[in-house]
Order: sequence, then structure tokens, then C-alpha cells
Amino acid sequence: MEMVASLFNSDNYTAVKKMMDVSAIRHAAIASNLANVSTPGYKRVDLSKSFEDELRASIKSRDADEIAEAAPRTEIDALTPSTRADGNNVQIDSELLGLTQNTMNFNVLTDFASGSLKQLRHAIVGRPV
Amino acid sequence: MNVISASSITGSALDAEKMRVDIVSQNIANAHTTKGIDGKPYQRRIVAFESLLDAAAGPNMQGVRVSEIKRDETPGEIVNNPQHPHADDDGNVTMPNVNIPFEMVDMVTATRAYEANLAVVRNARQMATQALSIGR
Repeated sequence: MEMVASLFNSDNYTAVKKMMDVSAIRHAAIASNLANVSTPGYKRVDLSKSFEDELRASIKSRDADEIAEAAPRTEIDALTPSTRADGNNVQIDSELLGLTQNTMNFNVLTDFASGSLKQLRHAIVGRPV
Repeated sequence: MNVISASSITGSALDAEKMRVDIVSQNIANAHTTKGIDGKPYQRRIVAFESLLDAAAGPNMQGVRVSEIKRDETPGEIVNNPQHPHADDDGNVTMPNVNIPFEMVDMVTATRAYEANLAVVRNARQMATQALSIGR
């Protein structure tokens, strides 16, 4: 039991779960930005900078509880300057790039999560699965 | 929770961009309509978008909708063509204020935006498929 619990509560596994949540939220933010690419005055939504710092610090600490506590949140990005007359600051190409990057990140994370579970199954069955 | 995250947002955007293309096609179709259902030359329609908060997708997330379809009140070009059935006593015809190149630009912009939102759905689906196969 100890081994199973330690796998599910390990800092790596917790970090992967958290990063998958972050990916899902970033995806929603990009969806919101691309949906509003033609809305006058719209300001893009992004992951909150303070959350990113918090997450980075918690992962550095390698403390599973601290990682689990970091709550993903978004903020309105009014700082990116608008290059358009209507005040909208969404750049369609950088959003699409972010979208692809985010999906790739998510794929890596799911592979990692699968790897952890496969390791556990390997230990249970006693042979590679 | 949605398996495909933010699908409501992307859905609203696809609807709105589709509406924009529909209006463009209506404008182009009526580029030479000198007598509309109100008896006046056709006035080009303009689609206005507005964002709306989508609480289901999370805080700050915004969908989009068509807030208004306005008529462009710019006067149309007046052409002298006495043979035209809709010419006035001086032989002048007021043409619709539709500008074809302008409409084409609008159509391309709307199509690109539509494609971008389709890419969002594709990526969301891929993420969902990946998530469902965790552990396999």
C-alpha cells in the first residue's frame, strides 16, 4: 500500500496532474481569445502571471502538497499593446502557435501520467505491460 | 465539466463568424438591387460582435455573439441611366452602397477566423482523446 500511495502522492505525479489542469485552462483562454478575434475592444485572457510564479516556485520546492495547493487562475491581459484601431489585442498567429504548443504540452503530460501508471502495473503484474 | 473544454466558447464563435459570412453573401448578392423590399436601394448590412462572459468555461472566459446587424446609411452612388426601370424623372438611379472589394476582404477575414476556431476544436478533441487514453 505504501508504494501505491507514494506513487499517487509523489511530487512528480502531482505536478503532472496540476500541469494538465493548467493546460486545460490555457486551452480555454486561447479558445476565448480566438473566439473574440473580431470583437472590438476585446482584451486577451491569459494565465495569471502570479499563478505561473507560484506554480514554478511550488514545483521547485518538490513538495506535493504545495504543488497541489497552487490554484490555476486567469487574468485579462491589457498590457499587450493593440495594433488595431478597434483596441482588440489578439494576434491570431501567436494564439494559434500557443494553441499548438499547449496541445503538445498536454500530450507530453498524458504520456508521463500513463508512464507512471504503467510502472505501477508493471510492479503489480511483475512483467512489462 | 466539458470533456472538450471551452467548446461552448468555440461554438459561439463559429456561429458568429458564420453569420458574418452569411451577411457578406447577402451584401454581395444585393450589390445591384436598386429596389429592396422597402422600395429603396439595398443598404449593405454590417455585423457587430460583442463578447459575453461564459461562466461554464471558467472565470474571464468570453464567448462571442452577434449583437446587432446594422444598415450602412452611407448614400449609394447615383448613376445616370434613363433606361433603367428604377430611374427617377431625371434618369438617375441610386445604386446600393455595396463595395465588392470591401465585402471580399470581410469574407476572407471571417473565413480565417472560422478556420482558427476550427483549429481550436481539433486541438481540444485531440487533448480529450489523449486524456481518455491515460494509463493505456
